[in-house]
Amino acid sequence: MYDTNYHRASSVEEAVKLRSSQDEARYLSGGMTLIATMKQRLAAPSDLVDLRHVASMKGISVEGRKVRIGAGTTHAEVASSSALKSVCPAICHLAGMIGDPHVRHMGTIGGSVANNDPAADYPSAVLALNATVVTDRREIVADDYFQGMFDTALEEGELITAITFEAPEKAGYAKFPNPASRYALTGVFVAKGASGVRVAVTGAGSNGVFRATDIEIALSASWSSDFVASVAVDAGQLMEDMHATPEYRANLVKVMAKRAVAMAG
Amino acid sequence: MEISGEERIAAPRDIVWAALNNPDILRQCIPGCQTLEQKSPTELAATVKLKIGPVSASFNGEVTLSDINAPESYRISGEGKGGIAGFAKGHADVVLEEDGVDTILRYKADAQVGGKLAQLGSRLIGSTSQKLAQQFFADFNAVLTTPAETSL
Amino acid sequence: MGMEGIGARVARKEDKRFLTGKGRYTDDMVVPGMKYAYFVRSPHAHAKITGINVSAAKAMPGVIDVLDGKQLQADGIGNLICGWMIHSKDGSPMKMGAWRPLAVDTVRYVGDAVAIVVANSVAEARDAAEVVTVDYEELPAVITSVAALEAGAPQIHPEAPGNLIFDWQIGDGAATDKAIAEAAHVTEIEILNNRLSPNPMEPRAALGVYDEAEDHYTCYTTSQNPHVARLVMSAFYNVAPENKLRVIAPDVGGGFGSKIYIYPEEIVCLWASKKTGVPVKWTSDRTEAFLTDAHGRDHVSKVKMAFDKDHRIIGLKVDTIANLGAYMSLFSSAVPTYLYATLLSGQYAIPAIHANVRTVYTNTVPVDAYRGAGRPEATYLLERTMEVAARELGVSPAELRRKNFIRSFPYQTPVIMNYDAGDYEASLSAAMSAADWDGFAARRAEAEGRGKKRGIGMSCYIEACGIAPSQAVGSLGAGVGLWESAEVRVNAVGTIEVLTGSHSHGQGHETTFAQLVADRLGVPLASVNIVHGDTDKVQMGMGTYGSRSGAVGMSAIVKALDKVEMKAKKIAAHLMEADESDIVIENGALKVAGTDKTLPWFQMALAAYTAHNLPAGMEPGLKETAFYDPSNFTFPAGCYIAEVEIDPDTGKTEIIQFVAADDFGNIINPMIVEGQVHGGLAQGIGQALLEEVRYDETSGQLLTASYMDYAMPRADDLPSFKLSHQNTPCPSNPLGIKGCGEAGAIGSPPALINAITDAIGVEITMPATPLKVWQALQAAQPRMAAE
Repeated sequence: MYDTNYHRASSVEEAVKLRSSQDEARYLSGGMTLIATMKQRLAAPSDLVDLRHVASMKGISVEGRKVRIGAGTTHAEVASSSALKSVCPAICHLAGMIGDPHVRHMGTIGGSVANNDPAADYPSAVLALNATVVTDRREIVADDYFQGMFDTALEEGELITAITFEAPEKAGYAKFPNPASRYALTGVFVAKGASGVRVAVTGAGSNGVFRATDIEIALSASWSSDFVASVAVDAGQLMEDMHATPEYRANLVKVMAKRAVAMAG
Repeated sequence: MEISGEERIAAPRDIVWAALNNPDILRQCIPGCQTLEQKSPTELAATVKLKIGPVSASFNGEVTLSDINAPESYRISGEGKGGIAGFAKGHADVVLEEDGVDTILRYKADAQVGGKLAQLGSRLIGSTSQKLAQQFFADFNAVLTTPAETSL
Repeated sequence: MGMEGIGARVARKEDKRFLTGKGRYTDDMVVPGMKYAYFVRSPHAHAKITGINVSAAKAMPGVIDVLDGKQLQADGIGNLICGWMIHSKDGSPMKMGAWRPLAVDTVRYVGDAVAIVVANSVAEARDAAEVVTVDYEELPAVITSVAALEAGAPQIHPEAPGNLIFDWQIGDGAATDKAIAEAAHVTEIEILNNRLSPNPMEPRAALGVYDEAEDHYTCYTTSQNPHVARLVMSAFYNVAPENKLRVIAPDVGGGFGSKIYIYPEEIVCLWASKKTGVPVKWTSDRTEAFLTDAHGRDHVSKVKMAFDKDHRIIGLKVDTIANLGAYMSLFSSAVPTYLYATLLSGQYAIPAIHANVRTVYTNTVPVDAYRGAGRPEATYLLERTMEVAARELGVSPAELRRKNFIRSFPYQTPVIMNYDAGDYEASLSAAMSAADWDGFAARRAEAEGRGKKRGIGMSCYIEACGIAPSQAVGSLGAGVGLWESAEVRVNAVGTIEVLTGSHSHGQGHETTFAQLVADRLGVPLASVNIVHGDTDKVQMGMGTYGSRSGAVGMSAIVKALDKVEMKAKKIAAHLMEADESDIVIENGALKVAGTDKTLPWFQMALAAYTAHNLPAGMEPGLKETAFYDPSNFTFPAGCYIAEVEIDPDTGKTEIIQFVAADDFGNIINPMIVEGQVHGGLAQGIGQALLEEVRYDETSGQLLTASYMDYAMPRADDLPSFKLSHQNTPCPSNPLGIKGCGEAGAIGSPPALINAITDAIGVEITMPATPLKVWQALQAAQPRMAAE
């Protein structure tokens, strides 16, 4: 790790101000990606603005069907939230499968969504739930937010403060983990709610999380895993790496979509 | 891995060919290119700053034009050292075909990374190379066909 | 046996310090004035070094010095060597290319060390290493062993034309060919044994300390055999004479073979300490470990197994190419030869065997012994072939094995080994009954109803452990003898220190060796201390690898204990005015048999040291040493059965049950033995299902250099193992011990792959990842539909 200056922010305003005062400053949430990258010296921020002590970014609130998850909420907190479980158990299930216990107690939803790793779990939930990414300056709908792997609509210095969504009628998440990293080799989040059926796929796309519109159409016609089986998934835009071929990922999209629907009930 | 693609460019082939040999335009299109300095008609020195997710890397290197068959095809190659991150190199074979008033640009590209980028980021090499190649040629198309562009 | 003696499930003495973070590893060592090293390494798989510029690095803050290979060479530090001479079948010696501790002209794999930076902190050393500029002229690289042998392949060492290190054979080629020609059936199969990274929990580290006043060196290092390290560094690398070099291997967090060898880093740290005048510490990080720790396996083999009309094996012909990487590591030549081909008879009576082995250089990390070392390769090859043969012949895999089992001992194989004892039928029967083999058909049908493909597979392994009779290995090319030494010191108060040349890096010697002493002398376990890992304390030792510590290391202790016991009895007899032959040792006392005369152990010990009343002519004190040279290898054997269920939708394999029935001979501590088997099974399952080192085959870049891409087995990948032990005591050592450290890794991969191929009906290579299984099922589908 190169030398870096550490700042601890206690409010969103202070965090944004600290971040903007230095060109090469970065926000630090759980640090599950950033710290590891810094240790490898592949990232060298001049300053780190620690968000873990910003109280307003913490916690989960559920009012009726309206859900707000503070950006600084850890995966473990999401996984074990009974309030959340009562309206959207699928997101708890997803959070409980991220990394390992250490990661789940450090990593946060805001960090994951800001990083937008093409194999991270959360982007699929945010996209499928038609969630809103709330930042220090605006609200961004999920369809506008994700712009390709590691790319998001966030402007320089813009800070995610919360993720909000309307709890769906039904939702499910199924993930086939990479045997090595346990990131999603393919993960599919399905949701049926006010905004219709939405299916988002992580881990499989060559350019990050995406909506599987063909599966959405099939499920809109009939919410059943049998219907998913009839959809042809095109391997053309899927990722190829040493762990999986595009064809295998195309198969997994289908299989995981079926399992996600089965889980959603 | 090999990456291929094509762009339909709304410009005649001679103009496209000239642009492919214009350091100013190349600089605008090479993703993350900070400087591009012509050292000879076929050799350029480049600095490129890339940010892939959490990883930032700066490369110092060379861009070389070879297998020149004006105004139809050439190979554009790049090679850069990224310090601690390792190194990257790649090339694209570019073919221009006249299609009425337009030009079809076809490319076949290949990229390789070494050092830490390969050791730690192998899952992303393919997608990133593909994304950068697409971005380069799409930007090239945009630069050539955006009316406001005056650099020609 | 008592509560603490031989056969007792004693909790490990060492675990308190390990589990409470109080272990003392090489990286925990702090010596005054210590500085830190960082190695500049090649980012290229193959390149000429055209220039090294260290001036900017030297000017960096905190930098003490930056040293390169030319300086090291100028100071007369020698090249790294392979210590086991193999001759090709044409009689020529193996062709060993130069391995310089710091590369001088050429780098040959990604990670090859080029220079060392010594600075006040690791961070400053890294900073400076980043500004060392090395100019490389890239050369084409070759990664796979098969490609390295092709005409026109890049040439890696001038000493080894065509990258061929040796072309060796064993067995009777003519007799084997004849058997194949006359066979009623020949099973032919190609076997790939995947390349693995050892991944001990503690990465390698070295601390070199040069004392100018004494002209003396101390090396703290992560070694499985500190005395061998001292010997080799003195005799071959010219670091220092043995009396001026102390090697300490403190707590070591796992080795699996990878810490047997002497690597460039410890040599360079010692040399750099003298050069800079400060102690120099280097600790590998995990990616550096992937890049530089010796890898394991990487064999490509073609097999022909010939059967007569009664399904008896009449011949076995094997042609193997082994990838040794960019340089010949310390024991690399022995692994694919005498540790591999000598086990090709397996548990079977095979009248004719011939194996041809070619070893080659490639632009990859050096390959050497990894848990099992040659024996997993032999077992995988044989047991996969047996399985395929059984399917081709239409007989049950158990019956085919039973028919060919060796049943009388000693048994001389056609490939050197002389098996001393075993009961292969016992392990096979125990495993089959534990696995409810006969009930499998019903379980498979039930699984089919759930859409799952269920398979069962077995593997009957044998290994040669307790390496080894020194004269025998010497005649086969070993550069060292493979005995072990021990010293038993009885203190004046009766407590005991045992100094052993074996080294514990996870095996639990502090417990099992103490149990032996407690059992023998009737003293409490708490009064026995095991000392190891320091060349200044322990007289000499050959170290721990090849499951040898029990069979060889403990036998040396037994020999020393024999001497201690003899002297103790003499003293006791003298003090109690009895006949020496009437003295028995029981419950911490020496007793005159048949009387109530008794002398507490500590009083006898005190008498030995006060020397007020010793038998005439007896030297004071009670301390004995012994060297034990085994008369034969030991032959642990067993039968493993894996039952798997495959999800055809994803290709994922779930291990439903795993049964291990092992014959390790006598057992000192069953709990520790079970732990060894569990660990071995985890590694074997890792090899079969998950682990594989991957290089880019064009550029030679290592693509699996972190746990993002190198898949290690985790707890939830593993079932709860069903273990049992059969026991035919080893006749060649006093304890009847065979060794248990590697069996799990040796026997498990073929059992799993046999189970998976049974489930899916098509062949597959290791690791059988979900991707590969799914692809195999996809490829098989049209064919199955057509059938």
